[in-house]
Amino acid sequence: MSTPRKTAEDDGSIAYAPVIDWDKFKPSRSSLAARKRKDGLMHALIILAFIVALIPLISVLWTTLVKGAQRFNWDFLSHNMTNVIGGQQTASGGYGGILHAIIGTLEITLGAMVISIPIGLLCAVYLVEYSGDGKLAKTIRLLVDVMSGIPSIVAGLFAFSVFTIIGGPGTANGFEGSVALSLLMIPTVVKTSEEMLKIVPNDLREASLALGVTKQRTITKVVLRTSLPGIVSGVILAIARVIGETAPLLLTAGYIVSTNMNLFSGQMTTLPVYVYQEYSKFRAYCPEDAGASCVAAIPMQRAWSAALMLIVIVLILNLIGRIVAKIFSVETKR
Amino acid sequence: MSTSTIRRIVAAVAGVALLGSVAACGDNAAIDDPDTVPSSKTEISGNFAGAGASSQQAAVEAWISGFQRVNPQAKISYNPSGSGAGVTTFLTGATAWASSDKPLDHEEVNESKSVCKEGTAFDVPVYATPIAVAFNLNGVSDTGQHLRMDASTIAKIFNGSITQWNDPAIAKQNPDVTLPHLPITIVHRSDKSGTTLNFVEYLKAAAGNDWKYDLSENWPNELGQGAKGTSGVVSTITQANGTIGYADLSQVGELGTVAVKVGDDYVPISAKSASNALVDSKIDESVQGANRVVVAINHNTKAENAYPIVMISYDIACPVYKDENTGRFAQAWLTYITSQPGQIAAQKATGSAPLPSNITDAVEASIEAMN
Repeated sequence: MSTPRKTAEDDGSIAYAPVIDWDKFKPSRSSLAARKRKDGLMHALIILAFIVALIPLISVLWTTLVKGAQRFNWDFLSHNMTNVIGGQQTASGGYGGILHAIIGTLEITLGAMVISIPIGLLCAVYLVEYSGDGKLAKTIRLLVDVMSGIPSIVAGLFAFSVFTIIGGPGTANGFEGSVALSLLMIPTVVKTSEEMLKIVPNDLREASLALGVTKQRTITKVVLRTSLPGIVSGVILAIARVIGETAPLLLTAGYIVSTNMNLFSGQMTTLPVYVYQEYSKFRAYCPEDAGASCVAAIPMQRAWSAALMLIVIVLILNLIGRIVAKIFSVETKR
Repeated sequence: MSTSTIRRIVAAVAGVALLGSVAACGDNAAIDDPDTVPSSKTEISGNFAGAGASSQQAAVEAWISGFQRVNPQAKISYNPSGSGAGVTTFLTGATAWASSDKPLDHEEVNESKSVCKEGTAFDVPVYATPIAVAFNLNGVSDTGQHLRMDASTIAKIFNGSITQWNDPAIAKQNPDVTLPHLPITIVHRSDKSGTTLNFVEYLKAAAGNDWKYDLSENWPNELGQGAKGTSGVVSTITQANGTIGYADLSQVGELGTVAVKVGDDYVPISAKSASNALVDSKIDESVQGANRVVVAINHNTKAENAYPIVMISYDIACPVYKDENTGRFAQAWLTYITSQPGQIAAQKATGSAPLPSNITDAVEASIEAMN
């Protein structure tokens, strides 16, 4: 197109603007209807997909809530399974509880966090801040991807063999479970932290370096500080991923009916293992003269209540994570 | 590190410690039952682990409870990983004792030389429970009626020769019951199981003509439905009309059970009648290895009110342990669980059949030989 030449008449005013026939662009009535139909159909399909995805979630939550609420009380939360005979009532009027399993789950998960967060975070810092795009970084990325696909039972077997070599056959303690879980946690922590570090704007790093701040302080005070909320949610995701693991803990942490506070010695019960064991018991025995206080179906009821507690713990951890993320989030001026 | 960070860490550690001291207990008070307290006083302390048969789990939990009343410093864990896994774990030296639904075989006894300080491992019966032939049949089991069958009828049902509930062989033995014209669905264990082994041992011994299969912990034919674990079998039977299977008495709940023909009578299942069958059983002298007590259950007993389908579960231990403390524990543990208070504790927790004195006498001698 040639540049329009200004003529004497055309002074650029609106009167000389080319006339556009907007009607040409209007869809015909029939194509409009077809588009609307398509739109409606896709809307319906998408909403349907959303509902389908929600059905199992709500069903699981609802079933656990209804069945778990039956035995979910303070006595259940504050006692362990010592001196629980068949389906009979204990001295405190309950039917045994999950205190030992709650403590076990929290301690073992904490142990896994202590192992995997520093390793995972430092690994992510290396990948983003130091490695450039070298061969080592590529290898690490590949290995992390492979590691995130490890079946949990393999992680359990790894920890089991390591501790068998170190502590002799039959070594089972909570820390062994922590090691197994940390294998599952590290890839998640590395990946999420790496993504979070990547989205920190380079301007911030450059500004900090330009002011004469050392690289170490730039990373700790600027990069990590800015991405902290994201890292925290990544860690919470990783915890949620491992807290419900049964198979590796069955192998490593073992199963005991009494409370064990020591992470480093003696077997420890965790909530998922507790649920599994109670489910396998299926029915408790009640002598014929036991009366109504003896509940034969108690193992299943305990399993449901323990499952409910596990969901509650994950929920609480999520809330804590959100609060932490909120407190540490950087205020941005717009 | 700045002081505020240090202060925060100290606060966090103190918080966790405080939480620990609050939560340190949680033990339920022991049920005050003088019948189940060990008679002898021993001072055992330490961590001890056992593993093995899931059938013993409820009994072991009751025994731990009883044992800790006189040995509060002993922390005992039990992993119900299954008989085979329990023995394998024991043979690595990882556990103080193993429990198993079947006695050791020759190889396992030899292998145990490496785990025990001296001698070879031995097994003693600790837990006997009647196996119920349980069924779900509308109009019969839901009205609280039970069926009567002889060994040959049971074998024919489980080998597929009898396929209808109103088969003349069943009807003849149950004149008072109206049986529907309904196909029989067999439910059996899909996993390796001591319950299966003990049940087919009975069929083989009592109805050898109708039960040609080899003895095995796996179910020998392709009939009916398999289900995992006793719980799987019981829930499968409960779900469908016309089903029949076998399971520990403590697990069958409201299902109908079969009274088995012994001599001229039909004996309904109970812990007492199972005990009677054990009284009429002998100790198998043919097993190799010192101190071993293996019971040859007399499936063809003619004794009065004796229920012949019984499962015996064993505990496996070393005569001498490499660790002296473990040895002291194992001896005290076995002494307690095979004593009368121990057997009563198991009976109250699981409905098991207490071991009769003809068996416990031999067991006592074996345990006394430990040191």
